[in-house]
Amino acid sequence: MAKSIFLQSDNRKMHAGWLLLLLLCFIVQPFDSFANTSESRGIPSAAVLNPAAELWRDVRQREQLTNGTSQVKGVDSGVLINAYGDQWRKFRMQQLIPVGGYLLLGIVIGLALFYLIRGKVAIEGGESDKKLLRYTSYEQLIHWFIASIFLFLAISGLIILFGRPVLIPIMGKEAFSVIASACKEGHNLMGPLFLVALILIFIKFVRRNIYQKGDLSWLLRGGGIIGKKHVPSNFFNMGEKTMFWMLVLVGSVIIASGFVLIFPVFGLGREWMELAHVGHAIGAILVIGVIIGHIYIGTIGMEGAIEGMKTGYCDLNWAKEHHDLWATKAEQQGEVISNDKVSRLRDVSSAQSLGGHVQEE
Amino acid sequence: MARMKFYCDPERCIECNACVTACKNENEVPWGVNRRRVVTINDGDEGERSLSVACMHCSDAPCATVCPVDCFYTTQDGVVLHDKDICIGCGYCFYACPFGAPQFPEDGAFATRGKMDKCTFCAGGPEADSSSDEHRKYGSNRLAEGKLPLCAEMCSTKALLAGDADTISEIYRKRVINRSASVMARGVSYRDASFRAPHSASGKSSAKE
Repeated sequence: MAKSIFLQSDNRKMHAGWLLLLLLCFIVQPFDSFANTSESRGIPSAAVLNPAAELWRDVRQREQLTNGTSQVKGVDSGVLINAYGDQWRKFRMQQLIPVGGYLLLGIVIGLALFYLIRGKVAIEGGESDKKLLRYTSYEQLIHWFIASIFLFLAISGLIILFGRPVLIPIMGKEAFSVIASACKEGHNLMGPLFLVALILIFIKFVRRNIYQKGDLSWLLRGGGIIGKKHVPSNFFNMGEKTMFWMLVLVGSVIIASGFVLIFPVFGLGREWMELAHVGHAIGAILVIGVIIGHIYIGTIGMEGAIEGMKTGYCDLNWAKEHHDLWATKAEQQGEVISNDKVSRLRDVSSAQSLGGHVQEE
Repeated sequence: MARMKFYCDPERCIECNACVTACKNENEVPWGVNRRRVVTINDGDEGERSLSVACMHCSDAPCATVCPVDCFYTTQDGVVLHDKDICIGCGYCFYACPFGAPQFPEDGAFATRGKMDKCTFCAGGPEADSSSDEHRKYGSNRLAEGKLPLCAEMCSTKALLAGDADTISEIYRKRVINRSASVMARGVSYRDASFRAPHSASGKSSAKE
């Protein structure tokens, strides 16, 4: 009896002392040295109150990989807390969408300003009556093949990326969901075709895109933007070559990361998918920016630039001004043909492509 | 209004996976999808802990932030739900979610992601309460019937608590106080008082040295 009373009072005393200590520990928690000394004295410190605090900190922050196991089988099912998810959310919401959006907008506005100031780059010598064969029909075909796939992928990707802030306020969630769903499915279906197209482009154009002597001076003179003089260049100039290599290299990153994103069946965890998404998005924004410039020069930026891809033949004066090393060589080899012959050749080839139904007059 | 939350007590969870099974059965979730899972940390070692995880119905949900089609919404009860008619199955919510709650049934010719499926706190979806459409897409709506999620309701050790945040934090607070009291009574530290065999008891009954 006496013993139990003694114990009780002891307990009460302990209780009060314990509470005091708890309070103390919470106050002095930042001072690690103090906490350590109290622990080494055998008195429970704040860290002891939740014995698993360190474990949960590891699980949550994953400074070291604390993976669990789960009876539910699946990729990452043993990961209790995905610590990188929050970093990925911040990247997408605070960097990718605003920075990417303003970057692309800036490129478009910058090109518009450039067009207003500089205007269309005309063929100085005017259109001549002679032409050069610039691209064969196969080269045109693969160019427009990759171009249409690229445009589709770029537009569908941009809709998925910027649709929520830009399109949902205009059309509402239900209508946008239909478009976004089509974009997602289309993006996934067309994505692998981009790989095929890029391989075809690479094989066909790689030899003409190897950097050569003279490319550096082209770069130093800003490709002719600085000053009014044209800078000599071969079949492709340094800017076109850089665009080619960017498309090949960054495009490969986009394709590889895209495959990771389409096929969760590869068995890669979320960290890989988040990483893949970051690479996919940054690469895509870069390439889209460059291609906007490419489209600008091909359409409204320069007279005669699109002719080679439209008809296969480019104007001789245009070639001499923009690709004079190539044009001079072609001229020497006697590849120059007259306009009349070009139109005759084109009529014949279009007649053939229509299955011979068009009769020559 | 109530703010519904789950809380799983790692000192009580015995990794029986009954919550997983109950959820799967109650909500008739698609093949390959488990809305809830039990994760065991340090399995088989000292300090082993298990936790049942599903959607935690975050107050500021990352999934809702990153969704490109804005299909998430929070009900008046604080339950985070999503609209499967709007979801496009992109998987972004799965990347952002800390708990791995969003699940995707395999869909289409190349087994890509179908529409996302996740724990609804047994609160159905945007369709009319207890309608057949709602049941088909989201499973059961127990909240509309005045019941709590089945996983927590049938947890045998009451490790998994579900309900209004105030109520379950009160229950958990009482548990912590009681555990501390048992520490007092036994005169041992909380570390040794938790529910597993101490070092010294590892002899005959354990196959593990």
